[in-house]
Amino acid sequence: MQGNIAILGYGLSAIGPGVGIGLIFAAYINGVARNPETRSMLQSIAILGFALAEALAIFGLVLAFVFR
Amino acid sequence: MHTNAAIAAGLKAAEEGPGVKVPIIPAWGELIFGIVAFLVLLFLIQRFVVPRLEQAYAERTAAIEGGMEQAGEAQRQAEAAKQQYEDQLRGAQDEAAKIREDARSQGAQIVADSREQANAEAQRIIDNAHKQIAAERQQAAVSLRSDVGRLSTDLASKIVGESLHDDVRQRGIVERFLGELEAGKVTPTKVGSTSGEAGA
Amino acid sequence: MSFTVQAMAASGSAEGGGFEAPSPADFYQPLIGSGQWAFTRPMLLMIISIIFIAGFLIATTRKAAVVPGKGQWLTEQVYNFVRNSVAQDTIGSKEFIKYVPLLFSLFMLILVNNLFGIIPPFQYPTFSRVGFPIGLALLVYVIYHAIGIKRKGVAGYFKGLIPSGLPKGIYVLIIPLELITYFITRPVTLALRLFGNMFAGHMLLLLFILGGQYMVLEGGPGLKVAGIGSWLLAFVMTVFEALIEFLQAYIFTLLAATYIADSLSNEH
Repeated sequence: MQGNIAILGYGLSAIGPGVGIGLIFAAYINGVARNPETRSMLQSIAILGFALAEALAIFGLVLAFVFR
Repeated sequence: MHTNAAIAAGLKAAEEGPGVKVPIIPAWGELIFGIVAFLVLLFLIQRFVVPRLEQAYAERTAAIEGGMEQAGEAQRQAEAAKQQYEDQLRGAQDEAAKIREDARSQGAQIVADSREQANAEAQRIIDNAHKQIAAERQQAAVSLRSDVGRLSTDLASKIVGESLHDDVRQRGIVERFLGELEAGKVTPTKVGSTSGEAGA
Repeated sequence: MSFTVQAMAASGSAEGGGFEAPSPADFYQPLIGSGQWAFTRPMLLMIISIIFIAGFLIATTRKAAVVPGKGQWLTEQVYNFVRNSVAQDTIGSKEFIKYVPLLFSLFMLILVNNLFGIIPPFQYPTFSRVGFPIGLALLVYVIYHAIGIKRKGVAGYFKGLIPSGLPKGIYVLIIPLELITYFITRPVTLALRLFGNMFAGHMLLLLFILGGQYMVLEGGPGLKVAGIGSWLLAFVMTVFEALIEFLQAYIFTLLAATYIADSLSNEH
């Protein structure tokens, strides 16, 4: 079997953001469930956190293509 | 779109193209083209789209606020009318209560008055009756007295045989008789026995 | 999974009749000329998208009425979304109106170009070529720094980067961190997030569709079934992509608004 080790790197770099995004949306769902009227306020914050966490995974993806 | 052949052809043509080996190195043409294109769109939107939408929003807000004002005015009027109506109602209720109260007290007054009146009337009737009775009694006594006098004189004159119808005499005799009667000098005797003796 | 690994292996040695996995090279499609200044397919798509967006928006708002028609209603829905739930909520109701055109243009351009990735005659997400997202991120970068400097002056702006109320000793740590955040991480992530999502998403679609095609055309009976499964999965992924494409347009606009709000606010 042959391939590119950079892809493995991407796989590893996706673990952290995956967990992080899960935590962010878990907290968001919790917040909305407890306090439904704050939904719109929490939504933008959750999306923002999601974007920041996702950036790491995107870095991993890009670097996987850069160092091949 | 993406047939294998096309890709293979593209690969051959673009082996040295920008962003092929390392996809995050931008092609200058695309970078600058992208910026220019965006600026064109931004200009168009800023110049033609947003002002019109904002104007429509402002008009809509004004229209809605005007509507709200009218609604508010109508509500205020309704409120005032309701207030007035309630005031009237409360006044009417007060008045009704007062009237009822008055009627009750007046009724009590009337009852008391008429009771008093009736009592007075009854008293008056009773008094009248008493007076009349007394008067009648008096009259009866008087007429009795004269009748008794006349009868006694008739009787006596029959017995005595002498006319006692002479007024002066008659009066004197009767008076004397009655005076003796009252003084208790003459005890009543049975008329029958006396007349029997007299007849025998 | 083993198929993917094989595909990757095949792309490593790109010869013979084996399967050619999609690679970054597939995204470089020059139409006229070649090299750095070639007129490429995404450029054409960009022009189409701008004609479409501007044409649609101007046509529907030419006679913007108090009671909207169908087209105006549609435009207003999108415009309201950007204006109220992105610009107003993020920047604050005092100054947001000045930045609404910028944010609205960003949102419309990114949304339409992203959706080109799954709309049949185009089927190419413009922002999967890194030049375009970098261009937009660069613009946003320049704009938010310019706003900050114009508002607070150069010295005030740099002073404003440091959170107030920290002990002096921590400045050694915090200043480089803030500088990196403001001047490197923010624009780079802004550009790469959009690029990476579009690039990877489209690559995934390509992989499922081309892989399925290869298996159906070249493989044995078992592989033919797998190929059809791959196509079905590609269909599911297309729907998923539509969501991602919308989300990325929203995130890009939201982040731009957040950065502008940061530059406007007096405190860090």
